[in-house]
Amino acid sequence: MQTLRAQLTAWYSAALVLTLGAFTLALYLARRSASFHDLDQRVQSEADLTNGILEESYRARGVLVERDSLIGDFRGLLEVVPDYLIITDADGRVLFLSQTARELGYQKVEQLADLAKPPLRGRNAGVIELAPDGPRISYVVRFVTGAGPQFGAILAGANVQTAELGPQQLLTTFVLILPISLVTALLVGSWIARRALEPVDRIITEVREITDGRTLHRRLAEPMVKDELGRLTETLNQMMMRLERSFAALRRFTADASHELKTPLTVLRAGVERSITTPGLPQETLATLEETLLEIKRMTELVDALLTLARADEGIAPLHREPVDLRAIVEEARETGELLAEQAGVSMEVATPPEPVVVPVDASRIRQLLLNLLTNAVKYTPAGGRVSLQLGPSDGRVILTIADTGIGIAPGDLPHIFDRFWRADSARTRTGERPGAGLGLAICKWIAEAHGGTIEVQSRPGRGTTFTVTLPRDAQA
Amino acid sequence: MKILVVEDDKTVGQYVKRGLVEAGYHVELVGDGTEALRLATDGRYDLLVLDLRLPGRSGLEVLRTLRDRGDSVPVLVLTAQDAVDFKVQALRMGADDYVTKPFSLEELLARVEALGRRPKAIAAPVLKVADLALDTGSREVKRGDRAIELTPKEYAVLEYLMRHAGRVMPRTLITEYAWDYHFDPGTNIVDVVITRLRKKVDYAREPKLIHTVRGVGYVVKA
Repeated sequence: MQTLRAQLTAWYSAALVLTLGAFTLALYLARRSASFHDLDQRVQSEADLTNGILEESYRARGVLVERDSLIGDFRGLLEVVPDYLIITDADGRVLFLSQTARELGYQKVEQLADLAKPPLRGRNAGVIELAPDGPRISYVVRFVTGAGPQFGAILAGANVQTAELGPQQLLTTFVLILPISLVTALLVGSWIARRALEPVDRIITEVREITDGRTLHRRLAEPMVKDELGRLTETLNQMMMRLERSFAALRRFTADASHELKTPLTVLRAGVERSITTPGLPQETLATLEETLLEIKRMTELVDALLTLARADEGIAPLHREPVDLRAIVEEARETGELLAEQAGVSMEVATPPEPVVVPVDASRIRQLLLNLLTNAVKYTPAGGRVSLQLGPSDGRVILTIADTGIGIAPGDLPHIFDRFWRADSARTRTGERPGAGLGLAICKWIAEAHGGTIEVQSRPGRGTTFTVTLPRDAQA
Repeated sequence: MKILVVEDDKTVGQYVKRGLVEAGYHVELVGDGTEALRLATDGRYDLLVLDLRLPGRSGLEVLRTLRDRGDSVPVLVLTAQDAVDFKVQALRMGADDYVTKPFSLEELLARVEALGRRPKAIAAPVLKVADLALDTGSREVKRGDRAIELTPKEYAVLEYLMRHAGRVMPRTLITEYAWDYHFDPGTNIVDVVITRLRKKVDYAREPKLIHTVRGVGYVVKA
């Protein structure tokens, strides 16, 4: 029941089966009541007809009964009646039994005959269930008044079952038809649903292709017919137009912010740079200027990082890719790593494969990523620890591993370390060091992903942390 | 050599102008693109320093108009955008080089010099302080007769200090020069390099050439 199509099909089929069931039930009930009505009518008319024959014959011939029995030729005449027919005399003795009635046997005939015996009890029509095992008989009793004194009453009856036969056949038919119609309903329903939902699938595919700022200008093809799906398409298109507008606004904002923030930084920087190279300044002034310069650089770096991430959100990867032997970048980083490690009293290991690892990358970004991870590794490894940097190709991919034996990352922090502005509590950093803005790892993640790669982290508190950067060998994304 | 600086921000413009004038160039400063296009005719300038974001006509438009005119004057673009694609766009439109804001004056001067088509021979390829010599061509360093082996970062730091011999160079600028612009080690990695350099350059030698200016940076002088 995962797809709308399956749901629709199920609903269609259920509705069909229910309708079919309700229809059959109504038909069955109507048919049944008509059957019973017919049965009553038949019994009634059989009684009336018998009575008429008796009266006519009496008028023409007088005596109809000899030695407590109906005379012969009448018997033949009345045998034609297919149902139960019993004629009694004035004392309640049976004068005649039809063929069907005789088949019932003495005990059951007696039960029927009792109904036609004076004094009459209650109704002169009804249904009786003969003991011990049926049948149920619908009967009518009629008193014979115009055929001489010997006659008592006529009982005409018919087996109720004959009335139920027709309706029951209807039920049987329904049970036979049900599976066939269910299968048909499922097939047809599923086909209709697919036909109806085909445009939805198309819309899903098209919308899925619109993934970021680069593809946001695309629109769905609007169908000519303004049905529900047509309106959905229209609504989606309008939504995308609004999205595109806000993306454009964001882009404008990033450009504006970039300009507005960087121009004053340029002015500041130029001023400080000029001042700091003025000869003869007192050392205190120089130190202040140097601090200012460092802050300006950090601020610039922060603005850059923010803008880079903002642009990355738009899906614009400002990468300048060229085929580079990654070993060269790693070797370049090695010296810096060793310098950092030496300062922190940490040992440093670098391993690169003997053959070139040429990958189309933005060299300055990969350098940034490596230095960032190395700086972190050294920063969080106590003196005496070890930091290792490894480069290794692995079927179609290139893997960079930066591992340390440092203080590690708490399991609760692991999912957040690539978040922007996220920082573990300050206890992690060595005292006296100023923590960064918390964008370093977010930038690393962006760099890895913009190259079509991934960055992963494994860490055990007190044991160390390993960052694994995987890059595809061929340019993509 | 005449340079036209097109920059709408007055302060930035003034700094650029002053820096270039001090380096010995003739400089004119204008604040908008239309004015720049009016002035930059008939090869009146040897170089344009062009801000990309200008009121009225954008820098890219100015650049395109210039190139459409068939003017091949070298153009150095100033941009606040660190995005590579934007720079690439500027370069495709015919810019010769770019500097990202905020830029150091030194970087700007270096690029202007490179674009100025001046014979490089005038600039001495061998930097000398006392008996310390650094060949910027072959990257060889000698103290007296003794050759000194330097790692790439050591070389970069020493070269930077020797280019500005006698001037105190702040750590921030040294880091920026010797490492990637984006690199902020959070610690003074320069100090470690200097310690190593001292061992190689100044050990058992007089006079000491590398001097610390506490809280600021370093200076190379005799």
